[in-house]
This record gives sequence, structure tokens and C-alpha cells, in this order.
Amino acid sequence: MKSMSLYEEKHSFLNKLSPITKMIYVVAAILIPAFAGEKMLAVGFMIFSMLLLMHSKVIRRTFPILGVSGFVVLTVLIIQGLFRAGNETVVLDMGPVAFYKEGLLFALGIAINVFNIILCFCVLVLSTKPSDMVEELVRKGFSPRIGYVFTSLFQLIPQMTDRMSTITDAQKSRGMETEGSLMIRMKAFLPLISPVIMSSFIDTKERAIALEVRGFNAKNKKTFLNESTKIPVDNVIIIILVVGIVCSIGWRIMTWLR
Amino acid sequence: MAEIKVENLKYRYPYTEKLALDGITCEIKQGEFIGVIGKNGSGKSTFCQALTGLVPTFYRGAYGGKVFIDEIEVKNVEVDDLCQKVGIVFQNPFNQVTGSKLTVYEEIAFGLENFGIERSQMRKRIDESLALLDIAKYKDRAPFDLSGGQMQRMAIASIIAMEPEIIILDEPTSQLDPQGSEEVFQAVQKLSQKGITVIMVEHKIEKIAAYSDRVMLLDDGKLVDFDIPQKVFSRTDLEEHGVVPPTYTRIGKALNLRVSETDTYPVTLQEAEQLLAHRQE
Repeated sequence: MKSMSLYEEKHSFLNKLSPITKMIYVVAAILIPAFAGEKMLAVGFMIFSMLLLMHSKVIRRTFPILGVSGFVVLTVLIIQGLFRAGNETVVLDMGPVAFYKEGLLFALGIAINVFNIILCFCVLVLSTKPSDMVEELVRKGFSPRIGYVFTSLFQLIPQMTDRMSTITDAQKSRGMETEGSLMIRMKAFLPLISPVIMSSFIDTKERAIALEVRGFNAKNKKTFLNESTKIPVDNVIIIILVVGIVCSIGWRIMTWLR
Repeated sequence: MAEIKVENLKYRYPYTEKLALDGITCEIKQGEFIGVIGKNGSGKSTFCQALTGLVPTFYRGAYGGKVFIDEIEVKNVEVDDLCQKVGIVFQNPFNQVTGSKLTVYEEIAFGLENFGIERSQMRKRIDESLALLDIAKYKDRAPFDLSGGQMQRMAIASIIAMEPEIIILDEPTSQLDPQGSEEVFQAVQKLSQKGITVIMVEHKIEKIAAYSDRVMLLDDGKLVDFDIPQKVFSRTDLEEHGVVPPTYTRIGKALNLRVSETDTYPVTLQEAEQLLAHRQE
């Protein structure tokens, strides 16, 4: 099945954890280093996230994501290392250009935060079915309508892409040029996109009616086919993470009061 | 069980001048298999939507007359209150997939979850509808990975699991190959045998002739005829209403094979065979 989801079925410890636990982990991994103001905590979370991803055998899936973000981080490193206001200590002199310690350290801080956020989100998205995640949120009171929009996107967008390629083939068979120079592609864009949008409108209307007759707007309290995936260790992890967040906030308040 | 009563139903879509439904009056008894025929634009789909309350609740427009399902006037209730009593399956199976569920089993559960059906009851109903539609072997497959016929049977199973008393099928086989169409007709016949009222819009006249208890002929939003298939398909003006009679009716006309009691032509192979055998005697 075509899906935009990055989830992989691995039957690992991480897969068995409740999506809520993993969401709280994401929050903790971002907030604790931010409140504590300690970069080493972010490095710690990065390493821990990588260990979890390795244990779940999904670490390879993070490489393309880290590669793309790594390129952005590299540009930040270069710009900050060269041009940051307050740069004084030269660490690398390359003739006409020089890299400064202050700018590089600042960029390193950004890089640590970015990679920490990416890796903790990878822990969530690579080991959690989007439908399970939304279902858990709906159980906790999240709007089922917004939840539906979120989960359906993962399957419907690839279907729309398929529709786009069918329309492209249909237009090609009528002699339209869709490949070649930028000008040719721009000319082909409108005749291609119009039927895609029109058919999407029709599909959406039909799907809305189909949902309506299956009680999408029913006022009843929803039930769920699947039981909640929470296992006993989830509660322990949640308590540890919440305590961690509270302690980091407390630490921040104390340092502010001093 | 549900009975349908339609009284002088009139409806016009917004921004149009012509009536899509023009003074339809009919009664449908519980457990009947009704075939709805007519040329494109005759009002078949609009009639189906009026029975489910989608007209005028979802499709606004000028509405007149009354539609009752078991004494409940359809326009006075919300679609989601009515859809547990009246289920509808549309032409395009692809657009009936919610897109939010990963397996056929979960997809069928969608409506039941919305109506707050208890989990064990939900599983029982899903298993029953999977068995009835003969798609249990696909229950762990992704909905979008099914063929057209399988997907349409899944759509029917999703509606059946909600245990409606009436099921309306609006050209459910129009996008299916002969094999897929046969699968759907066989599934619908099972529903009819279970006592569910079936209202089926179809252009496959041979099938409608074979399966229907009564046939409703619509043209230009008006109810032209509503009778047993033999009488409707024996009409001399049928083609004027955009409907070609079934093959066996045309053969019957050519050979002047008539059922003496009803003065009608045969509509199925069996009827034609019986009449020929009777003539040879």
C-alpha cells in the first residue's frame, strides 16, 4: 500500500510503547534541555534517541532525514562561523576567509538542538502508526474530525499523486508535451492541474457523503475497535519524563530567582 | 422492519430550473428487492439520496412532498440518525474508502466506532459482514490494495455491519468488470434473502430483471412504472424511456412468447425456457 507514513512494523520495544508515551518523550527531549539550559542534556537525549532507534532497527531510516537537515545545519555553521556579530577568536584561517570560535560554538548549539529534535521525532514517527497515534489522542479528547484529516492525508495524498500521473498519461496520449524545458513544463502545468483539482473536488464531495452515511458526524460517544496499546512500563516512563520536565522547570525558576 | 412510503416527492437542485424528481409516489414493503432503471438524468440517484435524507439535508434545493421510513419523515431527521436504518452504497468504490484505516477490518469498523458500538459487538458484526460478502480473506489487506469488485464488496460490508433495514445501491457495478459485477450481485442477493430491503439502481438490465421483485422505471424525474419486471419490460414504449429490454424479453417479443396469466414477455432464461417447453407441448 502506498502511504506517506514513515512507520515500519518491527515488533520492537519501542513499537509496543503507547504513542502517548512517545509523544511525551518528544516533549521531554525538547523541553528538558531548553529549561535546564544545558547543551549536554540535549546531547544525552540525542544519544538515547539513537540507541532507541538502533534497538528498533530503524536507524537507517533516519539517515536521509539527517542528511537533508545536515545540509541546512552545515550552511548555518558556515554563515555563523564566518559572519556572526561578536566573532573574535579565529580558529581556522583560510586566507581571505576565517572561521571564528564564537560563531562556530553558536552554530554547534543550534545543530545539537536541531538533531535532538529530529531524532526524538524519529523515535515517534518511525515506531508509531499515524492511525494509532491519532486514535490515542482521540481517546484523550482530541477532535475526531481533525484526527481524521491527519490520518487520511497519509493515504489520500499518494492516491492523488497516482491520479496526477494517470491524468498526465492521458494528456500525453493526446499529444501534450509534458517533459522538456521549463517553458514546456509551465505550459503543460495548467491543463494538468485543472483536471486534478476538479476530480479532487468531486472525490472529496463523494467521500464526504460516504463518511456522512457512516456516522462521521454522529453525536454518540465514539468507541474503538482496537484496545488502548498502553503497557505497564508506559506509566513508569511517563512518570519519569514528567518528573524530568517538572524538575527542569523548577531548576530554571530557581536559577532565575538567584 | 422498515417500510418506505413516498408521497408526491418533488425536488430541484440549487441553481437549476428543471425538477430532478417530479411528483413521485410509491410504497416499498420490507424485504423487497427493487430495481430502479431509467436513462441518465432520469432522477434515479436523486431518488436514492432522497430516501437516505441526503436530499434535502446534504444537497439543498427546492423540496416538496414527503418520504417516510417507518412513519419517520426523512427530512425531519439528521442523516446520521437515519443511516443506521438506511444504508447507501455509491458508484465509485474508491471514494467510499475513508482513507484513515490501514486494513479492511478496520475500515468496516469505521461506522460502528462512530456510532459507539461496543467492541465485542463490533467484532461480531464485522466478522458476519466479511463472511456474508465473502471477503474475510482480505481482512488484513489495505483497503486501497483491493480490486474494484473487492473494494465495492468492502463498501457494502461497511454498510451492512451497521445493520440497516434498508440498503440502497446506486449503480454499484458501474465501474466493475463482469467478474466484479457478478460478485456484487451475488452479495446483494444474500442480503435480500436475509430480509433486508434492497433498492438497486442499475443499467445492467438482465441482472435487474433476474433479481428484482419489482422494477421502478423513472424518466425525466417522473415515475413511469412500478411493477413486476415482466410487466415493466413488456412495455411497448420502454425504449422511448431510454431502456432496452432484456435479451430474453426481446426474444420473447420476436417469437411472441407470452405468459398467458399476466400477458407479459419473459425476462429471464428460465422463463423463456418454460414458455418454449409449454409451447412445444
